[in-house]
Amino acid sequence: MRIILSIAFLFMLTTASAQLSADDVKTFTLGNGMKILVLEDHSIPNANMYIFYRVGSRNEHPGITGLSHFFEHMMFNGAKKFGPKMFDQTMEKNGGANNAYTTNDLTVYTNWFPSSALETIFDLEADRISSLTIDPKMVESERGVVLSERSTGLENSPYRLLMQSVFATAFQESAYHWPVIGYEEDIKNWTKEDLEMYFKTYYAPNNAVMVISGDVSVGQVKQLAQKYLDPIPAQPTPRKVHLQEPPQTGERRFVVQKDIPTPVMAVGYHVPDAKHADYYALDLMQRILASGNSSRLNSVLVDQKQLLTFVRTSFGLSFDPSLLMIYGQLTQSADPKQLEDALFSELDRLAKEGVTPNELEKVKNQTMMEFYNEFSNINGKSNTIGTYEVYLGDYRKLYDAPKEYAKVTNEDVKRVASEYLKKSNRTVGYVQSKVD
Amino acid sequence: MKKFILYTFLIAFLASTATAQKTFKLPAYQKFKLKNGLTVYLMEQHEVPLINVSVLIPAGAVSDGKQYGLATMTAKALMHGTRTLSKQALEEQVDFVGADVSTSSGLEFSRLTAIFATKDREKILNLARDILLTPSFNPEEFGKEQKNTLVNLEQNKQQPRSMIGQFFNVHYYGDHVYSNPPSGTVGSVSKLTVADAKAFYDKYYHPEFAAIAVVGDFKSSEMKALLTSLFSGWAKGAVKPVKADAEVRSSGSANVLLVNKEDAKETTFSIGGKGVPRSHPDYVSISVLNTILGGRFTSLLNDELRVNTGLTYGANSSFRASKYNGTFVISTFTASKTTSAAVDKALEVYRKFLNTGITEDVLQSGKSYVNGQFPPDYETSGDLANLLTDMFWFEFDEKFINNFQAGVSGLTLERAKQLINTHFPKNDLKFVLIGNAGEIRDLAKKYGTVKEVPIKQDVK
Repeated sequence: MRIILSIAFLFMLTTASAQLSADDVKTFTLGNGMKILVLEDHSIPNANMYIFYRVGSRNEHPGITGLSHFFEHMMFNGAKKFGPKMFDQTMEKNGGANNAYTTNDLTVYTNWFPSSALETIFDLEADRISSLTIDPKMVESERGVVLSERSTGLENSPYRLLMQSVFATAFQESAYHWPVIGYEEDIKNWTKEDLEMYFKTYYAPNNAVMVISGDVSVGQVKQLAQKYLDPIPAQPTPRKVHLQEPPQTGERRFVVQKDIPTPVMAVGYHVPDAKHADYYALDLMQRILASGNSSRLNSVLVDQKQLLTFVRTSFGLSFDPSLLMIYGQLTQSADPKQLEDALFSELDRLAKEGVTPNELEKVKNQTMMEFYNEFSNINGKSNTIGTYEVYLGDYRKLYDAPKEYAKVTNEDVKRVASEYLKKSNRTVGYVQSKVD
Repeated sequence: MKKFILYTFLIAFLASTATAQKTFKLPAYQKFKLKNGLTVYLMEQHEVPLINVSVLIPAGAVSDGKQYGLATMTAKALMHGTRTLSKQALEEQVDFVGADVSTSSGLEFSRLTAIFATKDREKILNLARDILLTPSFNPEEFGKEQKNTLVNLEQNKQQPRSMIGQFFNVHYYGDHVYSNPPSGTVGSVSKLTVADAKAFYDKYYHPEFAAIAVVGDFKSSEMKALLTSLFSGWAKGAVKPVKADAEVRSSGSANVLLVNKEDAKETTFSIGGKGVPRSHPDYVSISVLNTILGGRFTSLLNDELRVNTGLTYGANSSFRASKYNGTFVISTFTASKTTSAAVDKALEVYRKFLNTGITEDVLQSGKSYVNGQFPPDYETSGDLANLLTDMFWFEFDEKFINNFQAGVSGLTLERAKQLINTHFPKNDLKFVLIGNAGEIRDLAKKYGTVKEVPIKQDVK
């Protein structure tokens, strides 16, 4: 009873506070299919624009792996109106900054600017969405940049190697098999035609969602969107990604060599996509395992048994079924067998005995705090709203999340633990300095 | 086409003047001292029902002596339990309400930061008081922390980008306390004991040179009463913070430090020299000029090393300003085989910047960029809490924020030239190259006298 009350209390706060109600987000869709979400917030004289394109490494195939990410770079290399370098020069001259990132599922472009620069930002984005130039010289120079990005990621952390090895082993048919950055030889070999095909297929207004938060008015955004974006024609809906990973029917293992002081290890379990009914129960389960020092795995593996120097989980929204990962670094004295015994017996205990009311209330409280944290600046607002819109099909689901979390019971957590955290569904791997 | 471009520039100019009109001001805050000398800052922000706390203790790596890492291990040890709570019970209480309380230490000071829901303010502030005033210094927990820290320190030695800043500091600052590595070294941390941490705490953790900033969703009168009741019992100490104002003496005859990482596929390097202290009156203008040189995507360095030549994923420069001194550093990385091309290119860009300066257009763009990107730095309560404690330590006030954009806008080309001439180091540049020495040893000699060390050796 206490649990329900406390969540209900927090939820009341949610609806009472400024900018924390779904009705504060205004939406409209252009004739060409681009959906635009606007959240006014006048606390600082700045705004941002996030554009989510539904294209990521899952849309690639061997031969062009890494192309989505490479394309993200090419989007800054010149279009019809704003030629090479002009995109960044114009934006920065107007007080704006930008970045972009690519995942397995999405390519996201982010602009942060004083609100007075809003029209310039629309002009810049419309230009590159409608008429990007793919200059062969820029392609060659950008290959060097991306090869440097790939190399520096691998050089400066063992976790890049660890994560891409888990995905490569756990996924054998799904497009999550290859890393977002791509294979080195693909980076060196894709062609201008590959890039042109990609642009035409995926960089269409009907394949994008735009979110703007900050010191703007909805009317102003509508008017600028009509002027700059509405004339851009829609494209045929991209072909559906049809590869799906068949169920895993036995434990898989890998070992990769890298010179590091103690091994780093990861376990990945196949879990469903973002729209699956188990999403909220799985999310609370992974928090019970590793969110905060008092979480189960932190408490047993790091604190009591000192087998890992830290432990974390990785779990999130995805278009296709993905992985829930548990990973950490072994201590000097830890033995992998001992570590796995301790880790897996904790997971079994969760599946058999479930959780305490206290633990469940704790992780529900944590999700509320995260929600508020995300909403403490305009970046968090755009990113969160856009992420829910793209993955769950409706940004309003974000505002329903507290209710969804509140519904999760001990029985739900037990059920998802026993269904997904089982031996035949897992991939276990190590990056370590000594191999046989 | 050209007409189009001119038109865009005109728009850009209008836009930047419009921005300047909407100046960003620091929200109102209160500042007062408790009887024991603790400085308190309170700032109400009601956008979300959260409160952020930042406590600054004026003891960091500069107070470590030869026991590198002691300030950091002491800060971590505060979280190992209090007079009434074990480490585990403390963590359970914090985690239960979804709060975050953490401690850390840097070069000059240590910090406790906390974020929690407004409704949990009494509970978490009570815990924060216990963490700061009655830590238990549990030997068993200290031992566990020490072992994990040693693994992390070994791990960092495999990651050039985790190490290069520290190697540069040692190379530039020599025996000055600003070369002390805040996380310590394997050699020093392995010798530390819980008694060392306790002694460090007893010496430095006192209220009269410390500050607490609370920003968020609360009533100031109520928060003032709560903090007064919680922190008035904190006893004064006998020691003043270390004043790191000694003169910097060169670390020896070598100006190139070559750090050998045998399995490296790329070279990570820094080039730099003397910078300015944080309190320098020209700090803001110097930052604008550095933004133009290496602080944004279209900066001279990134444009040449990334965009024009594809030598690297990114190149930047920065002024790293401490209370009494500072450095200026250019940093980037490139494939081993293009090391020479990248270092030469970085030097070429820098010399051109020093010798021919910048154009009016570029200056305008830099000013507009710095002003436009300024407000989001102080948007959240967490940002503001850290700003208030920074104001305390570096001895500046809200004028820094309130006059920032006007100061930036007022920077003229003539003044920019003078500042470049005065504050960007021209001579005695120090180089640090981390990479496969077998491949880059010979070319390193091009840049001066070389001292070579293995990456696995402690920095100090």
